[in-house]
Amino acid sequence: MAAAANMTAIENDRPPTVISFDTISLSYGNRVIISDLSLDVGRGEIVCIIGPSGCGKTTALRMAGGLVRPSAGSVRLRGAPLTAPRQDVAIVFQDYGKALLPWRTASANVSLAMEAAGVPRDQRQARIPPLLAKVGLAGHGDKYPSEMSGGMQQRIQIARCLAQDPAVLLMDEPFGALDAMTRQGLQDEMLSLVAETGTTVFFVTHDLEEAVYLGDRVVGLLPNPGRVGIDLKVSLPRPRNQLESREMPEFLRLRRELFDFIEKAER
Amino acid sequence: MKAWRILWLALSFLVAILFVWGWQMLADYRIVSPVFLPGPDRAWRSLTLGFTTGDLGMKFLSTVERMFWGWLIASLLGIVLGAAIGTSPRLRTYLAPTLEFLRPLPASATIPVAIAMLGLSDGMVLSVIAFGALWPVLLATIHGFAAVEPRLYEVGRALRLSRPAVIFKIALPSASPDILAGMRLGLTVALILSVVCEMIAGRDGLGNWILLSARSFRAPDLYAGVILLGVLGYGTSVILAAVEGRLLSWRKRAR
Repeated sequence: MAAAANMTAIENDRPPTVISFDTISLSYGNRVIISDLSLDVGRGEIVCIIGPSGCGKTTALRMAGGLVRPSAGSVRLRGAPLTAPRQDVAIVFQDYGKALLPWRTASANVSLAMEAAGVPRDQRQARIPPLLAKVGLAGHGDKYPSEMSGGMQQRIQIARCLAQDPAVLLMDEPFGALDAMTRQGLQDEMLSLVAETGTTVFFVTHDLEEAVYLGDRVVGLLPNPGRVGIDLKVSLPRPRNQLESREMPEFLRLRRELFDFIEKAER
Repeated sequence: MKAWRILWLALSFLVAILFVWGWQMLADYRIVSPVFLPGPDRAWRSLTLGFTTGDLGMKFLSTVERMFWGWLIASLLGIVLGAAIGTSPRLRTYLAPTLEFLRPLPASATIPVAIAMLGLSDGMVLSVIAFGALWPVLLATIHGFAAVEPRLYEVGRALRLSRPAVIFKIALPSASPDILAGMRLGLTVALILSVVCEMIAGRDGLGNWILLSARSFRAPDLYAGVILLGVLGYGTSVILAAVEGRLLSWRKRAR
């Protein structure tokens, strides 16, 4: 099994698979949400998922997080079936305002992840400041989420996920609700964080440019029922740059291709 | 900002003083017969006399005690039951009509039933108070737990929090504003029922003191009792508001 995975890795020049969706389907009663979706995400890869609304991108992410189980097929993490949420798979939700505990300070919100993992108090206290510093919140630990801007709140959530020491980061339109400047800042911060740790990222977005800018691959899903429609490799050099990368012909080509894909998918 | 607050505080005290002064005038000019309405001076004298020579202090304490224990039982029971019902949509659906039927029943109407079952005992008084004060706490707690943001439960699942951790770290703090509001209402109900029970069942306390004073035309004593009840209600509400302000400080910082 492992040997076979290695073989294909060599053949395709692709890193070993971390998450794999193996012909999964999901239906609620008569409604088929996802049908025969297969997708592999390699270690250290940033895979961006796009698609028109109702294509099941968020559902696919929730499956990778173990929050939803497919009706058929299986989601596997490093070959082992994923049936429940795991410590090393962290989810960043879009609605940071709802996903943070409003009665806890930024520090205490980050602490929650470590409390769940049973990390002793003194170790928690020691690890929180560096985590907050990593997401640019040094010195804001004693503030409540309600005292912070949207971008800062989303940073708390990212810090909470980093506290899990995740091998996989599942991000569900994490920057969708932020203004353009904040969004670009957070995109770059996320890229450098991920580059540092080699975390695998499964990134759902509705912003095509964001998908191309961040991803090693962009996967487009088709709706009714959800399935893979397009799988593009992004060969833009890293580190990416908000101005230069976005002006490269490759960027523009991919953006065009994805745009056409979405237009066709929605028709 | 600060100056305004002081001004408002001063004005509210002025209103209170005006009220007492009006009361004094009403009594001094005998607009209402002094048999029924003694002035605040006489009520105050009776109050101090009751505390120094009589057993008004004891009666005050026994009412406080009754109210407190009844309220505490109601609060604990209300929070535990409310948490169980609030977190289960099915239980909520099953129990909603029953709760809505029991809720508006005036708790004092249960006193005869309680007397028939438990006699004229302290246990009877305590159960009536606890029963009456239970409803506001129970219903507020159910609402509080039912209204917990579903996303937070999902965060709990994603982080693999244990079930007790989800209850104590997510659901309970989230429901706490509702629970505390319910407990505040419950406290008022507990005070009312303490007094009513003392009057009906003849248990020693402020209610009984007021009733006996009225029957023997000791109007100043009666008003002394009423003043004490007012102080008790005000005092407990201030204490609870302070506790609430401390526990829910995160809400104030939001604005």
